[in-house]
Amino acid sequence: MIVTILYYLLVAFVAFLVIRNLLKSREWQEEALYVVFLIPLLLRLLRLK
Amino acid sequence: MSMPETAALVLGAMVAAYILAKILKVSTELSMLAAALVGAAVGGAGFPVRHIVEGAFTYLDICLIFITATLFMNLLKESGGVAFVIRRVLTRFHRRKALLFVMLALLLLIPGALTGAGSVTVLITGSLVATVLGYMNIPRARAAAIIFIIAGLSAAAPPVSLWAMLTAAGVNMPYVGFFLPLLVPCVLLALATIFILSRGAKPADLEAALRELPEAPPKMNWLKVAAPFALFFALILAGRMFPFGFPILGLPLMFAAAAVVTMLLSPVKIPFLDVAGRTVHQLLPLVGTLTCVGILVQIMTLTGARGLIAITVVTLPVTVVILTLFLTLPISEAVLMWGAAPVLGVPLVLLFNTINLNPIVALAGMSVIWPLGDAIPPTAIIGRLTVDTIGMKEPYGKFLKACLVPALLIILAGTLMVFFSKQLAFLTVL
Amino acid sequence: MTRKFVIIVLGAALAVFAGLDFYRSRHLREPVVAGPGVARVKTLGDYFSKVKGTVNDCNVYILEGAQPGGAVLVLGGTHPEEPATRLVSWILAENGILEQGRLFVVCSANRSASTVTRPSGAYPDSFSIPTTWGGQTFRMGDRWSNPLDQWPDPEVYIHYPTGQNLAYMDGRNLNRTWPGRPGGTLTEKTTHAFMELIRTEKIDFVIDLHEAELQYPVISTIVAHPKGQDLAAMASMVLSGEEFKIGVESSPEALRGLSHREIGDHSDAFTLLFEAPEPFLDATRGRTDAKLLLEGKDDFVVRAGKRGLLFETIDKNGWPIDVRVGRHTSTILTVLDLWTLDHPDRGVILKNVPRYAEVIEKGTGAFLKDPASAESKTIHYE
Repeated sequence: MIVTILYYLLVAFVAFLVIRNLLKSREWQEEALYVVFLIPLLLRLLRLK
Repeated sequence: MSMPETAALVLGAMVAAYILAKILKVSTELSMLAAALVGAAVGGAGFPVRHIVEGAFTYLDICLIFITATLFMNLLKESGGVAFVIRRVLTRFHRRKALLFVMLALLLLIPGALTGAGSVTVLITGSLVATVLGYMNIPRARAAAIIFIIAGLSAAAPPVSLWAMLTAAGVNMPYVGFFLPLLVPCVLLALATIFILSRGAKPADLEAALRELPEAPPKMNWLKVAAPFALFFALILAGRMFPFGFPILGLPLMFAAAAVVTMLLSPVKIPFLDVAGRTVHQLLPLVGTLTCVGILVQIMTLTGARGLIAITVVTLPVTVVILTLFLTLPISEAVLMWGAAPVLGVPLVLLFNTINLNPIVALAGMSVIWPLGDAIPPTAIIGRLTVDTIGMKEPYGKFLKACLVPALLIILAGTLMVFFSKQLAFLTVL
Repeated sequence: MTRKFVIIVLGAALAVFAGLDFYRSRHLREPVVAGPGVARVKTLGDYFSKVKGTVNDCNVYILEGAQPGGAVLVLGGTHPEEPATRLVSWILAENGILEQGRLFVVCSANRSASTVTRPSGAYPDSFSIPTTWGGQTFRMGDRWSNPLDQWPDPEVYIHYPTGQNLAYMDGRNLNRTWPGRPGGTLTEKTTHAFMELIRTEKIDFVIDLHEAELQYPVISTIVAHPKGQDLAAMASMVLSGEEFKIGVESSPEALRGLSHREIGDHSDAFTLLFEAPEPFLDATRGRTDAKLLLEGKDDFVVRAGKRGLLFETIDKNGWPIDVRVGRHTSTILTVLDLWTLDHPDRGVILKNVPRYAEVIEKGTGAFLKDPASAESKTIHYE
């Protein structure tokens, strides 16, 4: 159970980094790729998939 | 239209969309996404939101392994640990060329073997090793070839070999028994590569090399470098030795634990958030590829395009299949990167299994050949990354030419492993 | 900035619509109308408290005969991506009437696995079986427990108690985690709970229903623990002579974690595992959708068969769901008949369940009950 919580925290941290980089990015292809990668992270955090 | 005709049409449309996107200078990752979306539309699935997002989940855990492992390696580099090791190795072995080459090959093999990504090898130890090789009078193109080839082998080396893991998962085969079939060829071929391409090298000019290599912090020592690795391996071992008493941690958490220890032991203050942000940025092409490949594979499966490739491959004459592995594997890698494993690797292993070859050794042989495709356009991600990282100014073709001899050796070794997989089955004990 | 905003909005829209879709399919309610033969309905958690209230606290439908006899457990949905297995258990729970003994029926042995579909597998999220009252929809499911219920995976899954190394994702495979572990993962706790059920209820044997890809050598067969070998061989002979070809295989000792090996090794019961052909699972399959799942027709799989790559025949008629369901119902009925003949005091006599020919003639849907016209107390959700 604790390990699972740590994994959700890990995913939350990665999602935070992705959002931070996304906001800093100035290149549309990079932005699109960040968004695509962010979707599974967020849906896992929300326990939807 | 019959199902095979539709599948062929979808596959054709996907290839056309991919090529068009590349012509329009869209990145490989997004080109794959474009191919997937066009394939779904042509295949009559419209814009299948659920499938697109479900496909993006395919390699989520592997992406987490990537990110935590690379973060660990980057923190080690920031702490001065990597520079410390390179300087110590150079000082200790600079008079003994052969031993130095062996040490450099091992230094190149470790990051990729642990993370499954050749790019991590290039970024972590590649530039430092290139500096040493430069002081041994080895031309830049050949130094780049050494780093690229060994980085590829490091990615195929155990414990984390993505091609083997993804293919094995696709055929419901345990990722067990791969350790030696991957380790032996990777180590031998890495040594062969460095010795072949370093011919005519002079003993390193120690003082000049040490001047150019980054300084290691004065308080850095072997213990501080070794401790996070020791923890990582201790956690793996604990899981194996006490499987029913020790919690399941998974590789991402083990790498994260190693990263935390690296931070705590670092003699210099590390800007953690910046390093973590840079890590995600550095890995974007890789995790982006994995995410888009997942989507592409899902849409190919949905529309029957994947089945078309699979059935075409498994119904070809076996000898033709094996003898053309040297072409099909690197080219599929160049186009799909790791996506080549589920798309092409899975039917190949099923075919080899049917004709009674040893699927583990055969897959290990294929896994050694696959990374060569990372130097071939359109993706050439690792090839380009290597050339950029070590600052090679010569044309890309010169780098490719330097890769040729070790590449042929790798192809030969990998193909022979497939052919004689049954005889080599004794390697699957670990 | 506008461009970035548009990209984020598009991504958010994709996430919201897909998220809703995932939520809906995960929570799709599947009614079972408990038939007149069902004496009571327990849940798996009644046998092992650590499973109580979890996603895998599945229903156990207990059919009882007037005459005392033996006890048999039928597991459907060990791998929910093998839909015939769940449909058969539905038919048993909704129609079966017992004259002797007790029959324990489970429709969702790994309920967690029934709430997820496989990334890159392109499975439909659900499928519907046509009925005279409009059809019944089922969750598609996967082979492995939902990562939302069991995460992370180990780098190598080590089977309890033998220590055999298996693929990392098989830690979530109900048919690799027998006999289970009380302090283990959710999947291990689930198999442990079933072992407790088997011991508590003095089950004589377990029937574990499965379907397999045609490229898999263990297909159209009964895999039996040595203790059940004679029964399986006899059933195979009777069925092959009277209804359809079905083989018999012995449970290999070296392959651990499977029901046909571990239940027999760790209890007085034994297991017979039935495999029916499901082209939907083949790696060479073409277009992946509910039609392929239910009709079992695929040109690419046929082509693989012509090349000699399959372990079961297939032609343009494919392997429709009714054929697969019918094979399982007939095999269950035959096995029970033969068992009862051999063990009259521990007999289990089951009636009102259709055999192979009847399922094909009337369709599976003919044996599913309409929850709208059933008494509410008889309705249970899977």
